[in-house]
Amino acid sequence: MKLPILGQAPQAAEGDRLPWRSIAGREDRRGHPSEFPAGAAEAPEGFSRRGFLQILGASVALAGLEACKPPRDTIHPYVRNPEKAVAPGAALHYATAVGWGTAAVGLLVTVHEGRPTKVEGNPDHPASLGGSGAFEQALLLDLYDPRRLRGFVRKGQPLSQRAALRALAQLAESHRDDGGKHLRFLTGESGSPLLADLRRRIEGRYPGARFHVYESLSADEAREGTRAAFGRPMEARLRLDRARVVLALDDDFLSFGAERLRLARELAASRTPGPGMSRLYAAEAHLSATGSLADHRFRMRPSQVLAFARAVARRLAEKHGMGALAAAGQAFPEREREASAVADDLARAGAAALVTAGSRQPAAVHALAAAINAALGAAGKTVEYRPAADEPSGPASLRALAAAIGAGQVDTLVITARNPVYGAPADMDLDALLARVPNVVYLASRPDETTGRASFLVAASHAFESWGDARAADGTVSLCQPLIEPLFESLSEPELLGSFVDAGDRGGHFLVQELWRARGPAGAPFEQSWQRWLAKGVVEGTAVAPEAPAVRAGEVAALLRAGTPGREGLEASFVPDPTLVDGRFAENAWMQELPDPITKMTWDNAALVSAATARRLGLENGRRVELRLRGRKVEAPIWIAPGHADDAVTLPLGYGRTVAGPTGTNVGFDAGRLRGSDAFWLDGGLALAPVGKRKHAFACTQEHFSMEGRDLAPSFTLAGLAQGQHELEKLRGPVASLQAPVDADSPIRWGMAIDLNKCTGCSACTIACQAENNIPVVGKEQVARSREMHWIRVDRYFEGPVEDPQVVTQPVACVHCEKAPCEYVCPVNATVHSDEGLNEMIYNRCVGTRYCSNNCPYKVRRFNFFEYQKPKAPTEKMLMNPDVTVRHRGVMEKCTYCVQRIELHRVAARVAGRELRDGEIQTACQQACPAQAIQFGNLADGKSAISAWHADPRRYDLLHEVGTKPRTAYLARVRNPNPELA
Amino acid sequence: MAMSEAAAKVDKLDVLEPVPVLVGRPGDREINDQLFQPVWTQTRRTWLALFAICVSLAGLLFLAIAYTVATGIGVWGNNVPVGWAFDIINFVWWIGIGHAGTLISAILLLFQQKWRTSINRFAEAMTLFAVMQALIFPALHTGRPWFDFWLFPYPSTLALWPNFKSPLMWDVFAVNTYFLVSLLFWYVGLLPDLAALRDTSKSRTARIAYGIFALGWRGSARLWRHYRIAYLLLAGISTPLVLSVHTIVSFDFAVSVLPGWHTTIFPPYFVAGAIFSGFAMVLTLVIPARKAFGFENVITGKHLENMAKVMLATGMMVSYGYLMEHFHAWYGGNRFEFDTFFKTRMFGPYAPVYWTMIACNVITPHIFWWKKARTSLWVLWIASILVNVGMWTERFIIIVTSLHRDYLPSSWAQYTPTWVDWSIYAGTIGMFGTLFLLFLRFVPSVSASEVKELRRELEHEAHAPAAGHG
Repeated sequence: MKLPILGQAPQAAEGDRLPWRSIAGREDRRGHPSEFPAGAAEAPEGFSRRGFLQILGASVALAGLEACKPPRDTIHPYVRNPEKAVAPGAALHYATAVGWGTAAVGLLVTVHEGRPTKVEGNPDHPASLGGSGAFEQALLLDLYDPRRLRGFVRKGQPLSQRAALRALAQLAESHRDDGGKHLRFLTGESGSPLLADLRRRIEGRYPGARFHVYESLSADEAREGTRAAFGRPMEARLRLDRARVVLALDDDFLSFGAERLRLARELAASRTPGPGMSRLYAAEAHLSATGSLADHRFRMRPSQVLAFARAVARRLAEKHGMGALAAAGQAFPEREREASAVADDLARAGAAALVTAGSRQPAAVHALAAAINAALGAAGKTVEYRPAADEPSGPASLRALAAAIGAGQVDTLVITARNPVYGAPADMDLDALLARVPNVVYLASRPDETTGRASFLVAASHAFESWGDARAADGTVSLCQPLIEPLFESLSEPELLGSFVDAGDRGGHFLVQELWRARGPAGAPFEQSWQRWLAKGVVEGTAVAPEAPAVRAGEVAALLRAGTPGREGLEASFVPDPTLVDGRFAENAWMQELPDPITKMTWDNAALVSAATARRLGLENGRRVELRLRGRKVEAPIWIAPGHADDAVTLPLGYGRTVAGPTGTNVGFDAGRLRGSDAFWLDGGLALAPVGKRKHAFACTQEHFSMEGRDLAPSFTLAGLAQGQHELEKLRGPVASLQAPVDADSPIRWGMAIDLNKCTGCSACTIACQAENNIPVVGKEQVARSREMHWIRVDRYFEGPVEDPQVVTQPVACVHCEKAPCEYVCPVNATVHSDEGLNEMIYNRCVGTRYCSNNCPYKVRRFNFFEYQKPKAPTEKMLMNPDVTVRHRGVMEKCTYCVQRIELHRVAARVAGRELRDGEIQTACQQACPAQAIQFGNLADGKSAISAWHADPRRYDLLHEVGTKPRTAYLARVRNPNPELA
Repeated sequence: MAMSEAAAKVDKLDVLEPVPVLVGRPGDREINDQLFQPVWTQTRRTWLALFAICVSLAGLLFLAIAYTVATGIGVWGNNVPVGWAFDIINFVWWIGIGHAGTLISAILLLFQQKWRTSINRFAEAMTLFAVMQALIFPALHTGRPWFDFWLFPYPSTLALWPNFKSPLMWDVFAVNTYFLVSLLFWYVGLLPDLAALRDTSKSRTARIAYGIFALGWRGSARLWRHYRIAYLLLAGISTPLVLSVHTIVSFDFAVSVLPGWHTTIFPPYFVAGAIFSGFAMVLTLVIPARKAFGFENVITGKHLENMAKVMLATGMMVSYGYLMEHFHAWYGGNRFEFDTFFKTRMFGPYAPVYWTMIACNVITPHIFWWKKARTSLWVLWIASILVNVGMWTERFIIIVTSLHRDYLPSSWAQYTPTWVDWSIYAGTIGMFGTLFLLFLRFVPSVSASEVKELRRELEHEAHAPAAGHG
């Protein structure tokens, strides 16, 4: 009996000359006899009762396995490779990458018996460095979504994959005659060399065909700004590892984009308290994750950010002799003091200073930021410039497409962009335009607002099901390898585009190999390099060297003089949502239920206003209003956001989807319906009118934002840290007790530490934990009843005035008290202490009195009030981590310090006959944390990293005085304010 | 008729005269006639109406229980942080109500208080039925009620004893013991009357039914002697239970680390509260029943007045408990305790409940300083209901307000009961009412044998006036 082994699928005789994915070959392999054990196909003659039951049992057990097929092409596991490629219970890790706009994040995906079950960052990838974010983690849930489109539908007729490819080929062929003049493509942004190559080939074959690129989070302004500054569009890649003073101009670089993980890592590292600690300034309207970390946050309307930047430039020019900025400078009397202090600080830092502009800000801000960086000598040091794609990806791009459709020039439109009908500006009315195109081919993963307009609907393979490649922001190429055979009949984007160059039936594997065979380094045998690239997740030596373009001061000044349109009245400002982004995660229940890092809102968005503005307009929290902007209107609830600029309204995008399944439909309001193509990000003249009397019911995971004067997350200034020691001393150290410590003599005493100075509040830990530990999603109503199940939550406290609060985020999971209040009150011994200091939860012993939760001072225990793990679709079952028990109703659960990972490594160490190594075991939250704010290890080992963290001068215990002796220690937050602004 | 004569006698009594514990000196037959009359007469229309209401509510209880067990505790309002709410509030409330019965029947028996005689059965039945309601809650409130038996120490295949460190384990023993002893005590006390019912019954069915329950009581001197010993022993066993049960119930809270729960004053304060609420409930029930059955001569103003005095005393003990809780929160200098008592309870989202509690439990009993109030049926009845409400709100304050805002403000949340919560609560009241109405209908609610005994004692005293007090 021989089962196909992951990673050892039979190789076609001549490598890839005979691509497995040719339709016929694919069909043939379906019934490959070696796939089944001998004799499984034919029933034995006259079987006994026992035999019958055996077969019955086996068929039930195997019924669910049909779908977990490992991909048949050779894919290469990362680092840990067990001897037998598929050992039941042993996980494999494969490197791949997913794109985010033009850049990509490298990932390692854990695969259990052919099922991807967990996503981690690839330590070798420059954008991940081992960290991963909530978005990357959540991709997994999308993979198994039972609502995914299956197969192909043309004008209402379902097609087989073969027929669909044939139909696509015919469609392509029909455009050959006129050189593709009536053929258009609408794609999303991508940095994939393969897609670029396919596009080049299509454009070669159809000289008349046009590609349009659209992203609802387009960075066109940055493109135009750098074009003005450098003469051609450049992409700025921040190097926070080299920066000491950073000014973020409305740039939430920690929340969005492929680079956010690396930036979080670098920023966290640069904030180690000490002489070299960096300082972060943020000028922004609504409190973002980046702003919440800033040492100084300047609250201002989005339109004032430019004025602030010009004031900084003026000071730099006047006081610090940076004549190149003279023409750009302009006074901003209201903010003179802050702007001067920032400018002085930037000038002091010189080449270690950095000014960065958010993609929502107008081109002028980007141009000015580039000019300031150049004047400071920071260009090439703290910010690297690389050429960017020279084509618009925002409304301008759609406008061109709309004009072509309007002129009747488009017969076939191939859409691979993400849901453009939803993401397009409201004044574009893409929905109506698409109705006028005879053939709309749409590659979609799920039914959405655009699928209704598609005459040829092509199910899209998930990123974890398809071959491809991607580039990191520094140009490093990663290969994307499928981790699982497509669950449903579907095509990937390269396969769809390939069908326009007669390569549709060759499969993604062939396409990507063909490209890299040609491009790979000469000399080395391709097969070897290929395997190495796949295993490692990156193609070495593909990084692009940064350029050092000269700033054209005159053009920048001209752009500034041209000015930006005035923003009269109430300013509307559109932002990507921290959890749903632009709506791409609207059907992802993990992301819907992930609290917004600042508002802690789940399953909802709201129009964010400041307290003063709400008062002026006579609005209170939760009041529903009608928002009117240039004749467009939408109804939304009001959320009074501490730290928000006055006279401005922030509108998070991504909600209010109308076709998004049971998870995403009609959740929140669609701010995009107010968005105009001429004022894509910012606009003035917003009007608010209250609607009705009833207040909107929000579901927030945290209702109280004040620490009530309690020492829960103390923070210090860098200068005050020494004096703060005696304050911290009260929050740590031994507590008097009559009892002996439970595990004083144990050679292993597990402990954790969380550095609040590094935590950005991004909540990657929450989702990583959810994925690792099979944590259910409970829905808005249950969250409103305060029954969310996240084992690790990120508490967020505000300090100081409500207009301009300081923010501390604090991840809290079970702290594994040495003297745990939960343990002694459990009547059935369902929560007990291990001799290694773990506070263990025995699910099958729990009757659910909830006494443990009542007695938990940290309230980290989660109760299954209902059967939250409802019977699942077969694909959803594949998501489950087989190492973690699925909990049923009536049972208490909580953080286990990822005991399954501890045991996995303990077993491995024991088999290898060695001790556990420090750092070998990483909890899911620790592994995901892009900022490396979480440390875990053996406290009994004095040399371990965790022991050092526990001995840190900033260490304190949460609720120390209760005497629970928590094993999770916290390191206090330290701020580095500018003394001139004190 | 004896009944109307007795009522007439009561009416004629001077308010300023000391009220006797038994009006008139009815003979044994008169006592039998009067006290057994509710059992032998036709079912009355008011009884039927009340019974219908109570049975419907009890039906609601069973529906709500079935719904909860089938769906999950999530149909209640409980959440994290408020892991316990109506379930434990109602449990403590019903257990507390039960206490007066035991106090009246056991402790007052041991202290030879004659005025207990005509209300003890009433109070004991109330205890029994209240404890039955109370038992529903801990059994139902677990996430997996079908595994409740894991709380009992039995040699199981799990090879595991329960955790005897947990106050919930102590609860299991305390409450079950209490229920069993109360049942025995009530039933043993009932035996002579059951026998009397058997002997006076006119139908064969009734004779057989009562005969079975009378366990062959013949009224012989030997039986009486054994009966006396058993009754006294049970009284002796019950007496510590009055103190222990609510002490242990209070440990559920006092043993925790939660501000508002973690306090050493809880045991005495809970016992006082239990007696306070128990007497209030006895008054709530006895006043209409005595009127309906014309028992004014056996349950006289004396009884009611004494109960009012007990309420005044225990009410002040409870107030002292409140005072000390707040004092310690302030004097202890613990920020969390201070916030719980002075911010959350007084001015938090549940402040109206807190002030209701203060009004009902602290202020209301002081009306009983006035004899006029103690002897006015309406004042007594309304005050007793206010105290019942007050004691319920007290448990709400202790459980919900302490839980909903504890150590970390990030986990603070509101609790809102659902219709299922209310249904179960109303359902237990209905169930209690059902049982109580059945008790009134089929069992003499005032112990005939003890009233006869009391009459003889009083006659004896009348012949030897110096011999004692009553």
